[in-house]
Amino acid sequence: MSTETMTRAEAAPAVLPVGRYGYDQVDRTFLRERIEQFRDQVNRRIAGDLTEEEFKPLRLMNGLYLQLHAYMLRVAVPYGTLGSKQVRALARIAREFDKGYGHFTTRQNIQFNWIKLEDTVAALEVLAEADMHAIQTSGNCIRNITSDEFAGAAKDELLDPRVHAEILRQWSTLHPEFTFLPRKFKFAISGSPHDRVVARFHDIGLIARPGPHGRPVFEVFVGGGLGRTPLVGVSLRDDLPEEDLLAYMEAILRVYNAHGRRDNIYKARIKILVQALGTDEFRRQVEEEFAAMDRARYRIEPALVEAIKARFGAPDFAPEGNAAAVLAEDRRRDVRFDAWVRTNTHEHKAPGYISLVVSLKPAGGIPGDATAEQLDLLADLADEFSFGELRVTHLQNVVLGHVRQDQLHTVWQRLSQAGLGTANVNFITDIVACPGLDYCALANARSIPIAQKLSSRFADLELQREIGDLRINISGCINACGHHHAAHLGILGVDKRGQEAFQITLGGSGEEDASIGQILGPAMAEDETVDAVARLIDLYLVRRENGERFLDTYRRVGTAAFKDVVYAPA
Amino acid sequence: MDIRSNRRDADGQSVITANRLLDGITVWRAADGSWKERITESTPVSNTEVEGLLSSLQGKAQELGLVGIYGVQVQDSPDGRIVPVTSRERIRAFGPSVHPEFSPL
Ligand code: HEM
Ligand code: SF4
Repeated sequence: MSTETMTRAEAAPAVLPVGRYGYDQVDRTFLRERIEQFRDQVNRRIAGDLTEEEFKPLRLMNGLYLQLHAYMLRVAVPYGTLGSKQVRALARIAREFDKGYGHFTTRQNIQFNWIKLEDTVAALEVLAEADMHAIQTSGNCIRNITSDEFAGAAKDELLDPRVHAEILRQWSTLHPEFTFLPRKFKFAISGSPHDRVVARFHDIGLIARPGPHGRPVFEVFVGGGLGRTPLVGVSLRDDLPEEDLLAYMEAILRVYNAHGRRDNIYKARIKILVQALGTDEFRRQVEEEFAAMDRARYRIEPALVEAIKARFGAPDFAPEGNAAAVLAEDRRRDVRFDAWVRTNTHEHKAPGYISLVVSLKPAGGIPGDATAEQLDLLADLADEFSFGELRVTHLQNVVLGHVRQDQLHTVWQRLSQAGLGTANVNFITDIVACPGLDYCALANARSIPIAQKLSSRFADLELQREIGDLRINISGCINACGHHHAAHLGILGVDKRGQEAFQITLGGSGEEDASIGQILGPAMAEDETVDAVARLIDLYLVRRENGERFLDTYRRVGTAAFKDVVYAPA
Repeated sequence: MDIRSNRRDADGQSVITANRLLDGITVWRAADGSWKERITESTPVSNTEVEGLLSSLQGKAQELGLVGIYGVQVQDSPDGRIVPVTSRERIRAFGPSVHPEFSPL
């Protein structure tokens, strides 16, 4: 849990969890102590020995928010990887302490919307038994380190980023210098040139690739973010060697910690500091700090990386056989399966394997909602077909990383029976939506109902296929938890004298071509917004040229035509 | 306090609301001083009185087992029930619209 873990010379657990780091006794003891500490704090709060003002920061340090209708518990999934046992623990929390649901977010967390303060300690105990916790899911500290949902599996990946994500996790968890930063701090890390982690919209985004002597190097993006002031991160350097990863991160955080605007919450993120200083000056200060540091203390030797890697279980891929031929035959025989394979799978680096995306976006459904039963089923499928490992995506879906191609048809049938077989990944109905005013105390408007209406309106699969890749993201306020700025078509809830209204943005992207969506015009009522989106889609279908995605057409045609169909319908 | 929760006209009427400390559930104050999960059981007071009532209640939040006591302006709906004037407070009163089975009503 701390830097000392990395120097601990302890035998790895007998059975290693595939795809993530195996906790040892030190980690487990720490979690137990932390839970006892929180139990005491809760008891003192209930007894009246702590006021709400005193207690609030303490509960937030354990991921417990007070929302509109109840307390909400936010649980981190480090680099998005979960073991089946962990998923069953989440199902248990949903069943015993919530109203039967868990809700996946855009930062590889899961949230429970109905946790009682009285039950929180018991819920944290269930988490701890599965080597999980809710620490640093709130507050001005380094938050969950997110990563690529296809890490360690994707064919286009250059290296598995999860070992370095784990190094960053150990370094950042309870780091004494960075527990009270000017504002929260978000990292994302990828090992693929295709940005599936929204690296350019994070406080620090890292893109790893193999460098000299077979050791990784990192491109470092700094100062990206959404929220009130959306900004694309700047590339600070392209060639950070592995051995200096922690020293350089520490140098960046020190510059931020020293200069970040603690006097003004709206200016406190590192993105504002980078803008205020300018990239060159910010880089100069980081380099200066970096040069002055005792770099040897932070150096990550290859032996250390290998020791961390050795604490990760690796899948034992069976020889290919005729798996690919079986899959091809299954696709020929079943058109619905074929449609799903086309949208919901991703190429795997191991021959005969494939990664699949479980869409948590059924027609008319709530994006990211999973029932306890669905979570248990996902755990079962992971055990039977994917080495006991699952991943959660920043687009509120779930991934089974390593499925043998000849077993894919069976997995799809099992998913479909549970309402999890929707074939819409990256289509118009694969909508991201924050909880919005249905739950969130900060919201101005509901996000989920508009997602449901759009999802029902465009449910026809033929139509979705015709429209092609189109990312719709919805946020209930300017905090942008639903990443609306990074959407091809974003929707933002605003408050119009106490009533809900919505603004449309166009042209955002969270990938390598990162861009911030432009506001189209004044906000409108929910139904008008749904109709306006339909007209935008119609215009795109008329104006698009060979093979263009919605985003391409928008970028080529420009805003004016789209604005006309929204505000002056024919 | 969030300005959206305090949107009150001089001559309107308001109900008093809070969240329960132990489970976080939204509650509304009735005429007898008890706190109900249903806004329909709460009793409005005129906006001229609400601030005074609030300040006396806010001092007692701990003994009442409540967090975040504040006033919410309401109006009569066509069916005769009281309804908060803002979307936010309507959702707090009637539950998340996306899971109607979780509504307190
Ligand atoms: C319902 C309870 C939630 C609360 C109270 C909450 C609170 C906030 C706040 C205050 C911010 C703005 C911080 C800033 O940018 O300075 C924010 C941003 C953000 N939140 Fe949430 N959030 C909630 C749920 C979620 C959910 C469900 C997701 C994912 C679906 C999420 C992911 C994010 C992300 C990605 C940002 C953008 C930060 C950035 O890049 O600037 N949050 N949240
Ligand atoms: S964007 Fe606003 S409404 Fe949505 S979850 Fe974040 S803070 Fe809440």
